[in-house]
Amino acid sequence: MLGTHPLASSISIPIVPGIGGAEVTALFPLVTFVLILAFGRYLPFKGAFPGIVATGLGFLVALATVVEIAGGAGPRHETLHTLVAGVSGEGVTLTFGVLIDPLSALMLTIVGLISLLVHLFSLGYMNAEGEIDLPRYYAALSLFTFSMMAFVLSDNLLMSFVFFELVGLCSYLLIGFWYREPGPASAAKKAFLVTRFGDYFFLIGVVAVLGTFGTAQFASYAPGVEASFVEIATDALEHGETGEMRTFLGLGERAWITAIGLLVLGGAVGKSAQFPLHTWLPDAMEGPTPVSALIHAATMVAAGVFLIARMYGFYALSPTALAVIALVGGFTAFFAATMALVKQELKQVLAYSTISQYGYMMLALGGGGYVAAVFHLTTHAIFKALLFLGAGAVIIAMHHEENMWEMGGLKDEMRTTYLTFLAGSLALAGIFPFAGFWSKDEVLFETLVHALGGGAPVLFVAYALGLLAVILTAFYTFRMVLLTFHGDPRTDTAEDPHSITLSMKVPLVVLGVLSVVAGVLNMGVFKGFLPENALFLERWLDGATMGEQFRESSLTAEHYHHVLTHDFGAGYSSGYAGLGEGNLALVGGVVALVLALIPAAVAWRLYGGAEPDPHMMNLGRIRTVLMNNYYQDEYQVWLARGFTLPIATLANKFDQGIIDGLVDGSGGVSLFAGGRFRQIQTGVATTYAALLVLGLLILIAVFAVTGGWI
Amino acid sequence: MTEVTTLPDWTAIAPALALLGTAFVLLLADMIDPDDSNGTALTGISVTGGLVALGFALWYLLAGTGQPGASQEPTEGAIELFGDALVVDGMSLFFSVIITSVVVLVALASHEYLREHPYQAEYYSLVLLASTGMVMVTAANSFVTAFISIELVSLPSYALVASLKTNEGSVEGGLKYFLIGALSSAIFAYGIALVYVATGSLQFGAVEIAIADGVGFDSLLGLGMLMILGGIAFKIAAVPFHFWAPDAYEGAPAPISAFISSASKAAGFVLGFRVFVDVFGTATGVFDWVDAFLILSIVTMTIANFTALKQDNVKRILAYSSVAHAGYILIALAAFTGSVEGEISILGAGMAHLFVYGFMNTGAFLFIALAEYWDVGRTVEDYHGLGNRAPFACAAMTVFLFSLAGLPIGGGFFSKFYLLFATVTGGQELLGAALIINSVVSLFYYTRIVRAIWIEEPGEDLEPGEYPTGLYAAIAVAALATILLIPAFGFVIEYAEIAARMIGG
Repeated sequence: MLGTHPLASSISIPIVPGIGGAEVTALFPLVTFVLILAFGRYLPFKGAFPGIVATGLGFLVALATVVEIAGGAGPRHETLHTLVAGVSGEGVTLTFGVLIDPLSALMLTIVGLISLLVHLFSLGYMNAEGEIDLPRYYAALSLFTFSMMAFVLSDNLLMSFVFFELVGLCSYLLIGFWYREPGPASAAKKAFLVTRFGDYFFLIGVVAVLGTFGTAQFASYAPGVEASFVEIATDALEHGETGEMRTFLGLGERAWITAIGLLVLGGAVGKSAQFPLHTWLPDAMEGPTPVSALIHAATMVAAGVFLIARMYGFYALSPTALAVIALVGGFTAFFAATMALVKQELKQVLAYSTISQYGYMMLALGGGGYVAAVFHLTTHAIFKALLFLGAGAVIIAMHHEENMWEMGGLKDEMRTTYLTFLAGSLALAGIFPFAGFWSKDEVLFETLVHALGGGAPVLFVAYALGLLAVILTAFYTFRMVLLTFHGDPRTDTAEDPHSITLSMKVPLVVLGVLSVVAGVLNMGVFKGFLPENALFLERWLDGATMGEQFRESSLTAEHYHHVLTHDFGAGYSSGYAGLGEGNLALVGGVVALVLALIPAAVAWRLYGGAEPDPHMMNLGRIRTVLMNNYYQDEYQVWLARGFTLPIATLANKFDQGIIDGLVDGSGGVSLFAGGRFRQIQTGVATTYAALLVLGLLILIAVFAVTGGWI
Repeated sequence: MTEVTTLPDWTAIAPALALLGTAFVLLLADMIDPDDSNGTALTGISVTGGLVALGFALWYLLAGTGQPGASQEPTEGAIELFGDALVVDGMSLFFSVIITSVVVLVALASHEYLREHPYQAEYYSLVLLASTGMVMVTAANSFVTAFISIELVSLPSYALVASLKTNEGSVEGGLKYFLIGALSSAIFAYGIALVYVATGSLQFGAVEIAIADGVGFDSLLGLGMLMILGGIAFKIAAVPFHFWAPDAYEGAPAPISAFISSASKAAGFVLGFRVFVDVFGTATGVFDWVDAFLILSIVTMTIANFTALKQDNVKRILAYSSVAHAGYILIALAAFTGSVEGEISILGAGMAHLFVYGFMNTGAFLFIALAEYWDVGRTVEDYHGLGNRAPFACAAMTVFLFSLAGLPIGGGFFSKFYLLFATVTGGQELLGAALIINSVVSLFYYTRIVRAIWIEEPGEDLEPGEYPTGLYAAIAVAALATILLIPAFGFVIEYAEIAARMIGG
């Protein structure tokens, strides 16, 4: 019997890697990172070109992956490298691997697309402006893309953590790109430290997961992976099979799962800039604007929400954790929106809107709307990237002036920027039929349904906050658009803005078009009137296109819903206030639209004229509070100074006085002994001889006695 | 072993013959061209002679000369010469490799160091004669050859330490070395005499058999063994026979310090291993030499390390470090169990540590030779900021020192780890604890030197002198060997255990 022909295996490698080689999406930017680091100065456009090629290829592979999954392939779960192998079933096995399912494929595509467009935009924003140190910029951008893609591909929590941290590092490098100025350097440090605070909890969570379940795998498709930690936890609660699960601190299974969930949530709160760890994000505006687009749309901030979505089956088990997520999300959505009302700088408005929008995603996750959260993550990535790139174009046109009161009337001079920015703004404000309308409505709908179902009363509060935020969002968005583009030019620069390059216009147009049409993905508002299979994203996340292996596994939206609605899980149920699902969805959509249109009209009334007045001055003390962001920074600094610093000082005293004292003491004793021993060496040869003979005699005496020679 | 032609047995001592021959060639060359202007030729001859000897030793070791063949027991195969007065086996070849390697490094490094030395030919020939003695020690198979070989090592060494005749320290160190050496030789000879009285023989195999059969004079035999132990302790510079070492190392030319502290110590140890494990292995009832070595080991490493803490002179620090390492290697004897398998890994650990030590310790002393060549001074303070001036040599020195301390930057990490493991195998936890504590203490003074080199600011501007090629080459080779012994350690331990098996089995 002859073996397989040696060529047989090589033939099966597809020319265009899709799901089978999806990890190359991450490898392309990694290679470019090394390349730019080594030869950046000699590369075309100082490294922009390889970056564009790498992200472009990565985007194509991600698209191919999506196409293959749509065609029935997948899921793919493969262990690529074993870091620490447990010994014969004992101990923990730590691995690096890839998990490609609908969620990661979708996210991979988003990251690839946004990263590609940001690279392209940077050509105009950075290169054309004659910035120095561009290789450093593009190298960090590549590393950023690599880290985020590897994070998305991670098949276990430990690997996620590693790349989560790498994402944090890259944002530090890029926010502080202009490190010679004090602002960016300080903002970079702040972003690093604040997110690191959340990551401590995440790290403890990773260790807790490994200690509790013995594995940190998200899925169990790979050979050799018996069960994911999510599945073990589900089994423990659903069937009481606690065999493989160990709890600590005397907590029961459910309480311990909640505790772990909240620990990991700490990392997500930091990265996704949720209250109270949101303070780093507005400062991060100090970085180059294309970087802001990348951070806010697809990478850093998205990582937190993605992490929760990735292990949503775990959170679905704990009503407490879900309630915390919903409340934090709803509150952040509202709270950040109030601060955006009075900001004068374009990017600041966008920064607070980002915090607010990620609040919506958290609200959706907490409210049981997994699909809604992923949907909003997707549409937000598109329109927020668009808004930031648009803002970047405005900033270039305005010669790096960011104050909206210095602008005005730009719509005539910057037609493309205006139209695309408007599309993004309408999406952000949630105006029909732009992308944000559909996803935001889905978020609110899911929360409302589960609130009405009576599962968790706290969802009503979260829902109310989310609804209030809709009003505020529409207002600040229109205020921003009106102040920037409408009315008469208020300065000479605004009169005659700098023109922008084609490489900046192309990304704007692409994203502008997507902002208009992306809602098609999941037109949930019309779910009562559409055929069942028209909700594409929901079908996608259910794995409807895929084989049974996925559809019957624990990573589908269907399964999450199953866990959410059973008593062993969150125990949510759905209520439709007597309207039925389809009608309630429609009513909800109409209400949200009206709630958005009224403040839009108010904004038009207040700021729509040729010479708008700064009405916020009428707010008096409230404005002061809002302008100071509720003194969040101040109280955190106060906490650091008044609370952490004394404790740290005390710990330092303990370390210096007692620990070091012991160490120094032992060193002192050693040195003293050394000094004594040194005196033996007198330098006189007769002493040496005497001591030598004495030593020998002692030995003889000892052994003569013990050896019985005498 | 399917050699087509087998060399005559006497060629087994070719390494020693090569060294001896080179010594005579040097003297001959000096007679032909006595004006000492031709240092390069003398260095060349010495290095070549050393390399030839090293080549023989390595060839024999790798070819399996004197080691058990495929059909033989692991303890058989040794080549015995001259009426069993000499034996060439795995252990003697293993140690010959260490010794000849050090000789090559030292001869190479001496080239520039001796540039104004009036007696270069004598210097080199004394080095080669001493190393001939060392190689003979490795092969000694009777107390007579052992004693003569030891004296062949010692006498040139005294002269070499005192070879800087106009330098007070050198002459004083040499004289002290000589006086203590004479005393120790007397003790050694007395011990041999007592063993002869008790057993009626001087040949190792015959003594072993006599002891196994039982001798009537246990107390005489025990006293003799203890005194032989004293003689060996002098050679390896173990407390309390170490007093000569700091003074001699400090006074001697630095390459000679390297030579004595590395090669001479290895020769002392090989005799200790052969005499105590092989010959007196069954005599622990008469004189519990395992306990004696246990005491010596702990006392040596502790006193040496603690004394080193208080030294300011770098060469003295290294002298005490060298004494401390004798203490570490004594673990190989102090953890002796008597069980075959355990003993092989324990002895093997000691031999492997000597192998690594041969490179890292020689390298460290050669760095001092470099510093002396540049006249930067002798104290730690004088070394401040040397890293800026000679980054390569200082990097090498850092490797040597950290490897000596047992950090995983050089082979010293593994060999120390094996020694620690040996204490566990031998059931001597106390010894293991002493090893760990002493290693921590030693890190303090090694780091002090590294810190002086790299971190401290130089007191005054050091003038970049010329860079001595031979010295640099020797340091580079030693550093390379120290680092390469991390991956190659498995190879070393394999041969060390073959050597150990031949005497321990």
